Amino acid sequence: MLNQLAALSLPTRSLAEGVQIVTLVILGLMMLGAALGVVLLPSIVYSAFLLGGVFISIAGLYILLNAGFVAAAQVLIYVGAVTVLILFAIMLVNKQQDFAPVANAWIRKGAAALVCLGLFALLSTMIVATPWSLWTGPIAGDNAIVVIGLHFFSDFLLPFELVSVLLLMALIGAIVLARREFLPEDRLVQQQGDAALTLPERPRETAALTGSTTPRP
Amino acid sequence: MDFASLSAQLNVGTILPEGIVILTLLTVLVSDLIVGRVSARWTPYVAIGGLLGSVVALYFQWDTANPVSFLGGFNGDDLSIIFRGIIALSGAVTISMSIRYVEQTGTSLAEFMTILLTATVGGMFLAGADELVMVYVSLETLSIASYLLTGYMKRDPRSNEAALKYLLIGASSSAIFLYGVSLLYGLSGGETRLSVISNSILAAGTGESVGLSIALVFVIAGIAFKIAAVPFHQWTPDVYEGSPTPVVAFLSVGSKAAGFALAIRLLVTAFPLLSNEWHFVFTALAVLSMILGNVVALTQTSMKRMLAYSSIAQAGFVMIGLITSTDEGYASMVFYLMVYLFMNLGGFTCVILFSLRTGTDQISEYSGLYQKDPLLTLGLSICLLSLGGIPPLAGFFGKLYLFWAGWKAGAYGLVLLGLLTSVISIFYYIRVVMMMVVKEPQEMSQAVKNYPPIEWKLEGMRPLQVGLILAVVATSLAGVLSNPLFTLANDSVTHTPMLQSSRLTAAHPAIEESPIALAAEVKS
Repeated sequence: MLNQLAALSLPTRSLAEGVQIVTLVILGLMMLGAALGVVLLPSIVYSAFLLGGVFISIAGLYILLNAGFVAAAQVLIYVGAVTVLILFAIMLVNKQQDFAPVANAWIRKGAAALVCLGLFALLSTMIVATPWSLWTGPIAGDNAIVVIGLHFFSDFLLPFELVSVLLLMALIGAIVLARREFLPEDRLVQQQGDAALTLPERPRETAALTGSTTPRP
Repeated sequence: MDFASLSAQLNVGTILPEGIVILTLLTVLVSDLIVGRVSARWTPYVAIGGLLGSVVALYFQWDTANPVSFLGGFNGDDLSIIFRGIIALSGAVTISMSIRYVEQTGTSLAEFMTILLTATVGGMFLAGADELVMVYVSLETLSIASYLLTGYMKRDPRSNEAALKYLLIGASSSAIFLYGVSLLYGLSGGETRLSVISNSILAAGTGESVGLSIALVFVIAGIAFKIAAVPFHQWTPDVYEGSPTPVVAFLSVGSKAAGFALAIRLLVTAFPLLSNEWHFVFTALAVLSMILGNVVALTQTSMKRMLAYSSIAQAGFVMIGLITSTDEGYASMVFYLMVYLFMNLGGFTCVILFSLRTGTDQISEYSGLYQKDPLLTLGLSICLLSLGGIPPLAGFFGKLYLFWAGWKAGAYGLVLLGLLTSVISIFYYIRVVMMMVVKEPQEMSQAVKNYPPIEWKLEGMRPLQVGLILAVVATSLAGVLSNPLFTLANDSVTHTPMLQSSRLTAAHPAIEESPIALAAEVKS
């Protein structure tokens, strides 16, 4: 990267290319710094905000790659929806709890760092060593929405339609998990209150306790 | 491309069975919305009817002239038809056993069935998906529906724990799978159709690269999670113990069958270049699954946990068929999965029936059951003995076919290991049967002593009884009268162009050599 920066001073390099490289470096540093912050900072709120920073930097990379629509989608979905959702979740679960420091915590951290570095080494070797076959056709650029729309209604029609079934089911599932249950009175009495909405099988501990001594009512 | 030619190319008719299931789930949902909870009296029968209707529709698509639809996105060949049939049937039996179960827990039935039907649709699409985006979307439909079903008993901490574990491990495994799939997309120069990928990888000259091996490893991680192969099995015991039992039944049959369908299609069509490697990896997975599943199942005290480990072990047996990669190997896989559908679902129906009547699933509580409930004892004994592979029952013939196919292809080590671990498995299955049958009256457990009078008139008990009897009859007769199923399994393989063309390609040494020999080669 430094070589490329040094090469900038050559008069043959155009100004646009230089701006691109500088932007790439700035975005890359932003992304790496924010990502490290997400993992290393102890406060979960900072992590959530920094995650938003990571997503915005990735959106910047997409713009550099002439993929304006993907960048906009990235900002809307990841920054606008996912990060905000995480922040809401943190806000709603505002639990003050002091965790006792774990003995020998550095072993876990060291192991995690080792695994991550190993994976990083493996994947970067792969990226460098593989002769990627690059796309040779015309680049969609600002025409991307039209191309994506064409795909949605031709060869990706089936997954596109299946996603609607998936979303319907996810909606219903979210409602089922989140709603308050109003049970009919007779049913509550019949099931002794507590047993409703639980598995019919007793938990193992109580099963072991009650199984031999008291009969089930 | 004008509209008429586009609709001809789409060939929408191939997904008619899935369309029927989607219509059914909408019917169930809307009638619950309009009529309210009263509709739970008849909507389960609509759902079962819809699933059986979809099986009938599948029957009429057998040997269809033009299986490829949606411009290569979906392939309705005979192999996919048989897997879709297995998944739809497992959905139908699961609904029949869940009516009473869900009623008794006080949760609403319509939403449960809607999510279960969506999971079935996802599995059915996965069995025929022929394109990477379609594979991923249908895999996620199946997975997300499974997470929701797992956490359905939301006031039970065990159910919450199971759902959270399943969600976290499942999400990370699906992320890994997606990474592998995106590597495939990159290596093939932007191809998503499975049938084209391997050719374009070959044309691009990236066949020998590290990238393809990493893509294979990541894809296998995703598949092995779905079929719960050791070492990707850690979620299985806890999820099986904490989920509602009908969901466990679906996960162990429907979801697993979908995973195997994905494994065959993806590995055979997209990874012919790494044929040796994936055979080697699956040999390791099969060996570990058979050993660990069967050995750990010996020590279990809870019936659901025991069945969880037993299902891990059964997946190991089925993988033998995948590894041999001959026509007989694939056919024996399909045959075993069909038999497994009946015997495992029958077993789970019995477990549900027992837990509904006594409120426990501890193995020790089953002692002396035959004096109080002969039908349940008979059904559970037949299903468990069949899972263990005792001769006149269906499971024996399934295993026989698997081992024969493996032996013929030269996988001697695997087959011997399979035989040995089957013997171990017979021990823990027989233990339950002995517990129920041999105990003296004074050794009866408390749960059995307080056994309620047998009552089939309650809401939702009838379908449970019908499902139980059908499963037991199928398990006991499918072995002796196995010819139709046998022919079906063989035809589904020989009529599938994908498998036949892969056999014809010359660069396929795994057919001639045994995986064990290959493993030895890799080691040396």
